[in-house]
Amino acid sequence: MEALKACSVSLNPLKHLFHLGSSTTLIRRPYSSYALILCCRSSTTTSTAAGSNRNRNRRLSSTSASSTSDRDAVRAIRLKKVEELRSKGLEPYAYRWDRTHTANQLQDLYRNLGDGEELNSEEDHVTVAGRIVARRAFGKLAFFTLRDDSGIIQLYCEKERLESNQFEQLKTLVDIGDILGASGSIKRTEKGELSVYVNSFAILTKSLLPLPDKYHGLTDVDKRYRQRYVDMIANPEVADIFRKRAKVVSEMRKTVESIGFVEVETPVLQGAAGGAEARPFVTYHNSLGRDLYLRIATELHLKRMLVGGFEKVYEIGRIFRNEGLSTRHNPEFTTIEMYEAYSDYESMINMAEEIVTRCALAIHGKLTIDYQGVEICLERPWRRETMHNLVKEATGIDFNELGNDLKAAKEVTLRILGDLDNKDKSSIEACSSLGHLLNEVFEIIVEPKLLQPTFVLDYPVEISPLAKPHRRHAGLTERFELFICGRELANAFSELTDPVDQRVRLEEQVRQHNAKKTEVVLETDHADGKTKKNEDDSYEVTLDDDFLTALEYGMPPASGMGLGIDRLVMLLTNSASIRDVIAFPVLKIQQ
Amino acid sequence: MEEEIAKSVSEISVDSSSAVSGKTISKNALKKELKNKQKEEERRRKEEEKAKQAAATASSQVKKSVAADDEDMDPTQYLENRIKYLAAQKEEGRNPYPHKFFVSLTIPEYIEKYGGLSNGEHQEDVTVSLAGRIMSKRSSSSKLFFYDLHGGGAKVQVMADASKADLDEAEFSKFHSSVKRGDIVGITGFPGKTKRGELSIFPKSFVVLSHCLHMMPRQKSGPGVDNANLKKTWTPGSTRNPEAYTLKDQETRYRQRYLDLMLNTEVQQIFKTRSKVILYIRRFLDNLDFSEVETPMMNMIPGGAAARPFVTHHNELNMTLYMRIAPELYLKQLVVGGLDRVYEIGKQFRNEGIDLTHNPEFTTCEFYMAFADYNDLMELTERLLSGMVKELTGGYKIKYHANGLDKDPIEIDFTPPFRRIDMIEELEKLANLNIPKDLSSDEANKYLKEACLKYEIKCAPPETTTRLLDKLVGHFLEETCVNPAFIINHPEIMSPLAKWHRSKPGLTERFELFVNKHELCNAYTELNDPVVQRQRFAEQLKDRQSGDDEAMALDETFCTALEYGLPPTGGWGLGIDRLTMLLTDSQNIKEVLLFPAMKPQDEPPAKGA
Repeated sequence: MEALKACSVSLNPLKHLFHLGSSTTLIRRPYSSYALILCCRSSTTTSTAAGSNRNRNRRLSSTSASSTSDRDAVRAIRLKKVEELRSKGLEPYAYRWDRTHTANQLQDLYRNLGDGEELNSEEDHVTVAGRIVARRAFGKLAFFTLRDDSGIIQLYCEKERLESNQFEQLKTLVDIGDILGASGSIKRTEKGELSVYVNSFAILTKSLLPLPDKYHGLTDVDKRYRQRYVDMIANPEVADIFRKRAKVVSEMRKTVESIGFVEVETPVLQGAAGGAEARPFVTYHNSLGRDLYLRIATELHLKRMLVGGFEKVYEIGRIFRNEGLSTRHNPEFTTIEMYEAYSDYESMINMAEEIVTRCALAIHGKLTIDYQGVEICLERPWRRETMHNLVKEATGIDFNELGNDLKAAKEVTLRILGDLDNKDKSSIEACSSLGHLLNEVFEIIVEPKLLQPTFVLDYPVEISPLAKPHRRHAGLTERFELFICGRELANAFSELTDPVDQRVRLEEQVRQHNAKKTEVVLETDHADGKTKKNEDDSYEVTLDDDFLTALEYGMPPASGMGLGIDRLVMLLTNSASIRDVIAFPVLKIQQ
Repeated sequence: MEEEIAKSVSEISVDSSSAVSGKTISKNALKKELKNKQKEEERRRKEEEKAKQAAATASSQVKKSVAADDEDMDPTQYLENRIKYLAAQKEEGRNPYPHKFFVSLTIPEYIEKYGGLSNGEHQEDVTVSLAGRIMSKRSSSSKLFFYDLHGGGAKVQVMADASKADLDEAEFSKFHSSVKRGDIVGITGFPGKTKRGELSIFPKSFVVLSHCLHMMPRQKSGPGVDNANLKKTWTPGSTRNPEAYTLKDQETRYRQRYLDLMLNTEVQQIFKTRSKVILYIRRFLDNLDFSEVETPMMNMIPGGAAARPFVTHHNELNMTLYMRIAPELYLKQLVVGGLDRVYEIGKQFRNEGIDLTHNPEFTTCEFYMAFADYNDLMELTERLLSGMVKELTGGYKIKYHANGLDKDPIEIDFTPPFRRIDMIEELEKLANLNIPKDLSSDEANKYLKEACLKYEIKCAPPETTTRLLDKLVGHFLEETCVNPAFIINHPEIMSPLAKWHRSKPGLTERFELFVNKHELCNAYTELNDPVVQRQRFAEQLKDRQSGDDEAMALDETFCTALEYGLPPTGGWGLGIDRLTMLLTDSQNIKEVLLFPAMKPQDEPPAKGA
């Protein structure tokens, strides 16, 4: 309440008005065609002509006002207000504020208050705090829209009602964007707007920069990501995405904890980056005098926990991959990985359904959701189909009947698929095994079509180095990936526990990676255009010997799953890009 | 018969086309057993007596262990033999690594459920399936084997009696001699207690699910420690003694944590305690309507603290990135954006030396609460910590070996409220100083240099006022903070992100919580005046130029965010690792990190201990 006390000291606004004379030029270039959602600069002049303010702005055109000089001018004016407040013994950056209600709580509590009614008893005396996002001022009356974490509420300010000349302060010193604390009684206006009928207020934080209006906030995509806070102020639904994200993660945690999973933390900085195939970030530890890699998966360390006797473990954490940016890729992203002893991949199918449906219910309250215009039905059970059957269904190619001749199989595939673009053709040509070929066809033809939730089962062993061989089908593994909206959301398998087999497979992975690396280096010598590709594969892949040793001590039969949290949040918040669900995405260096 | 069970329960046959899920099959196996049951009933009763006798004597008598032969072997030889054995299994068309085993009860659940059986009682009509790791094996004859089965932090005895198994005697004996200490097994059988009162499981079927190819370091307590599954386990807040562990070697414990977890049963509890600490904080904050958020771990500018960062490089963007040293500046931006109460529990990274309290990556919780100040946060801190200690330990006092394992543990009392120490005031009193009020002056710097000299307190260069003060505070104040105590009101020069004190010029509204002389929390009323914030950054730059590379860098994006207006906000940070250390009587941070950073090792990790 310090601030409140401070601000209730009386103040003579007149002196201040003279300072502001020069700023009138600003109003001629407002940034919104919206009359009532004004931006800060309007308030710098409304003090003199509050009544006409409304009309004046309606007249104004929609020229952009975000140029630097405007910003600097606004900043200068507002800094003067800061000085002025201080000179009056008021602190424009208050220390604390006690609020009794959030905006939403008030909207809820007084839902049934009739238009034009006021409640003025002791318990209807409330205090609120939040950011001023709109204002209208008339002679002896001013309306402010205050937004807090929960929603918005109107401040109804009448000159007579306000303590000791505060009305003048309100008009001269409060700008859109300022954070205000206010207390008063409850009133619903004749027009039906629930309001706090203000007795007193305090400027809690003076803002120095103009808020962008809705339209600019939305159009300047780059700025939205670089200055996320501006985006959040201008577009409350953006802040809501992050609240929903928190809810998704919390629901996910509740789900797995209720089944007995224990959360652990495994290292981000590692001597060797394993558990997936991706280019890692490299850093250097000064006092150890060695290179360290940022983890590209949590898998190999979580499996060590199973060896150590934990039976159900999970980790929700950041993963790092030194790869390009896209609507689906950010160099750092968040996954949940979970491992359960004595179970197989069936168990993880249930787990995936359980997690996704519980999160969907927490956000939407129903299982039919809209994603970018497509209706997605999350009712269980979800479709389960093998990769072989899906490919056969979509293309007519039965990989079980293709035989073992890779070259012939490629020819058949290319002939049946017919018109493919060159990129797809060359990736089919590049396949080093039938398993790779099957997967390539799957990715090109089937994947984009898997809109409704589908578990794709039984991946070829060649592309699944950490999955257990299928108990019935040679050449396949007990693995599934979950696809929704054509995107991979989860990846799970019966974990490979045989250390001998595991060593063979990891060594093969390293061998293949190195072969590719050499090949690309050779190619680069001939064609300069390939330099980029060269970089893609130039990193080192090393064998995680410690992990193999751990397996030699015996890991129980287990299933494990990794699920991309960013992608799940995208799905559940109907966001088109991963950048919409990561508060501060990595961006290119600004020109 | 052996093969049949192996085949059916674990579906091992590599080329087998009979395809049924693991669950169904173990049910089939059970049906089969039921059929045989009647037949065997009589035989069983006869054998029962014999088994009981054997059980009673097994633990007291020293008999030749089947395993003993193996354990004299050279470790490399042992590994080779095991690999050969597995190869042979595969040769015969068996999969030594089954896909799944249906577990009907965890071992702790089993103990809970059947711990009340009376001595000598057997419930042969009950069927349970347990799985776990064999940590000890004894045999009293080729027809009777005893195992300790560990899982879920508990253990139970397995009494494998040929007369109760679905194998003939020869197969039984052959099979059990192939089971090694360290193997992970699945057992289906019935519950019972030996005459001497040890809860056991009596297997009908017994499958090895995964093989331990290395020689497992020996359990210290020899065979036959009766009622061991009823032994009181370690609880948070009480003392531990890692020197009495089965596996003592620190290098092995930290490098091969899975061995540590397997052999030193307490260690699992340490990490479960860590998980509970974090859960408690989450629940506490969630109940106050905080939202958990994630801010980037890779930054263009490493801000929010003063520390040397890790540097990395994004190839495609050709961009240098720093691993975050604190999430503070991002979290405050979210408060600017309208999320009034946010927190993040996550890793921070500092490119610094490794010692008893420092690891290059460590976990913190930071929260930011709009409209609150540092007084509010002190109260919250008291509620959070005392509540947590109470919930985890049952009381407010914990025991901690602050002076080494050979000295008596001290008691740390978390009963709220905690002591509050006004930093400068108290320092002047205790050290008999009269520090110049303008702490940014050369005069103050000189005065503090002399004070350090007078008390023989060493301060490594550069001798900035901040660093000198830090040393003096460490010497005179922190040393007195064994029970939780807040050191409050730090000078502005020490706290570039904290708001100036509302009534004490030159100071800030900041506190640090010290427990056992170590900083646990750091919090302040956040500085939200962008003009003052820029000035503070400029002063930090001065310190940087005078050689203090731990002074904070200016973050323009952050300052701009402040210009949009950060509400009055209280911000708070806590070191999760250090808190866990206190609650688990750990003197080394590596005790509470599953995989602590270790110096590179030229040789491959020691196989075994």
